[in-house]
Amino acid sequence: MFAYILRRLLHMIFVIFFISLLVFFSIRLTGDPAAVMFGAGEPTAEAIEALNERLGLNEPLYVQYGLFLKGMLMFDFGESFRSGASVATMIFERAGATLALALGGLVVAMLIAFPVGILSAVYRGKFIDFFGRIFSLIGISFPNFWLGIMLILIFSVTLGWLPASGYDGFSSLILPSVTLGLILSGILARLIRSSMLEVLNQQYISTARSKGIKEWKVVIKHAFRNALLPTVTFLGLQLGALLGGTVIIEQVFAWPGIGRLIVDAINQRDYPVIQGGVIFLAMIMVLVNLLVDISYSFIDPRIKAGKAGG
Amino acid sequence: MSEQAILQVDELKVGVIDGKKKTPIVNGVSFDLKEGETLGIVGESGCGKSMTSLSLMGLLPKGIDYLDGHIHLGELNLESFSKRNWRDIRGKKMSMIFQEPMSSLNPVYPIRKQVREMILSHEKVSQKEADARTLEMLKLVGIPRPDEVMDNYPHQLSGGMRQRVMIALALVNDPQILIADEPTTALDVTIQAQILELMQSLQKRLQMSIILITHDLGVVAEICDRVVVMYAGEIIEEATTKMLFDEPLHPYTKGLLSSLPSIHEEKEYLSSIPGTVPPPGSIVQGCRFKERCPFAHDRCSKDPEMFAHLNGSKVRCWLYGEEETS
Repeated sequence: MFAYILRRLLHMIFVIFFISLLVFFSIRLTGDPAAVMFGAGEPTAEAIEALNERLGLNEPLYVQYGLFLKGMLMFDFGESFRSGASVATMIFERAGATLALALGGLVVAMLIAFPVGILSAVYRGKFIDFFGRIFSLIGISFPNFWLGIMLILIFSVTLGWLPASGYDGFSSLILPSVTLGLILSGILARLIRSSMLEVLNQQYISTARSKGIKEWKVVIKHAFRNALLPTVTFLGLQLGALLGGTVIIEQVFAWPGIGRLIVDAINQRDYPVIQGGVIFLAMIMVLVNLLVDISYSFIDPRIKAGKAGG
Repeated sequence: MSEQAILQVDELKVGVIDGKKKTPIVNGVSFDLKEGETLGIVGESGCGKSMTSLSLMGLLPKGIDYLDGHIHLGELNLESFSKRNWRDIRGKKMSMIFQEPMSSLNPVYPIRKQVREMILSHEKVSQKEADARTLEMLKLVGIPRPDEVMDNYPHQLSGGMRQRVMIALALVNDPQILIADEPTTALDVTIQAQILELMQSLQKRLQMSIILITHDLGVVAEICDRVVVMYAGEIIEEATTKMLFDEPLHPYTKGLLSSLPSIHEEKEYLSSIPGTVPPPGSIVQGCRFKERCPFAHDRCSKDPEMFAHLNGSKVRCWLYGEEETS
């Protein structure tokens, strides 16, 4: 197990290295930051030159990349071109908000999808299954920004129960989490339904019933426990995606997360912020994947993390 | 073995309803199970033998629409049971083991937990006590290093070991009846023999009755006292094992027996019964075997009864229809 984790961490270093190459060189193809920073005015060639000198953009590319790598080892991504603030600090300030939103979304999705998926499978073909499948389809088909705006209109504007935007305590977390969670729960409920249906056909479910235990124990203890494995894989991947991919929700709810930070930075050609943000998300993604793989060996005794290969 | 019947099945009918049409899968099956005996239910796949056994446990799969007839377990009328009543019977008075030992234990729980659940769902004992009984049971079914196996997961055990664990699980509450649905089919021949031997010795020790469902006449010869032969949802012959092999009556039973290889004579080809089992619901009237029967004649278009034969067997065939009166 320990050797396995070590191997995976080594693996992770390579992944991060390649991503750093990719992000470093691709943003340098997108245009001149100095030109963007001067905005509408017509800057003199000397002014641009001076700015490039100050930002370190006059150095040869390999020197710039080397400095970037060196800083990265210390988790130092330099300072923002625009504000001069430390990029690492900017990321950490926003990481909490992003994490809270992603976890909130996951929790809401699980709270909805677990019962819906399980009941759909148990009452396959009955009314409750029909309802569950309609629900899943709606969840999958809704554009999330539209759902977000609708929720704001109902619960903030009309009813005034919850804040419409911002990042201020638990109540402000509810609407964006519900928006994210509802969308996610559609797919999740479907996944749980189909893996439950598969498990419910297994012989050991008949064995469990033949023991004379209560049916809900058969469903939860014996069936759902086994249906969890594909679900955890999916949730792990989703958590990674949620951490970086909630830009639209963050925009709708004015949520100060990392997604928005990166989008703003791209618009302003703020290289250090883009680099730092992307590398940070990549690290999180790889770490979450590792955690998911490790969790397998706890959920399914047939899988030994050490032997699963990396 | 006493003559007391502990389980009586009377005119059991199980099937599906498609629109207004009833399609029987089990069509009027009746038999008794006596204390301490091993009753074989033999038949090809699709003859309704598994459905019969599942109805005895109240475990009919979804999609089965009706169950008629009577099942008496001692004083109890099982066919009128509620879910709660069933739970008290299952795993306590009657237990079941299945065909696939590889998949009949839950992969995510160690053996200890799976057997413990069985004990605790019927008796109020401490976990420690339950574990002690589990260990004892594992020893009894001949599992080497039982204290280690307690904490093993099913995937760490071989097929034969898993079937032993299943037997331990099924018998841990000392049931009156063990229903074994093709318990050896998925196992190697040598392991098959071991498992059959184990079931026999446990039966003597624990004084239980066994219903053994199989398509393998070799297994029947090995451990059954009496046999019912099923064909297309009906019992077509009921006999002691000795009589069934010495003097089979029904043309289908004869066909089955002559299709067995024998060490006494050398056959170039094994004989087989022509045709296939008619699908459920395709025959409404008359003998279900008549299409494949070499002795079929006009009478066979009427339903034959179970006729008692002089040798003590019962057979559902017109060939033996006169013997009662003669």
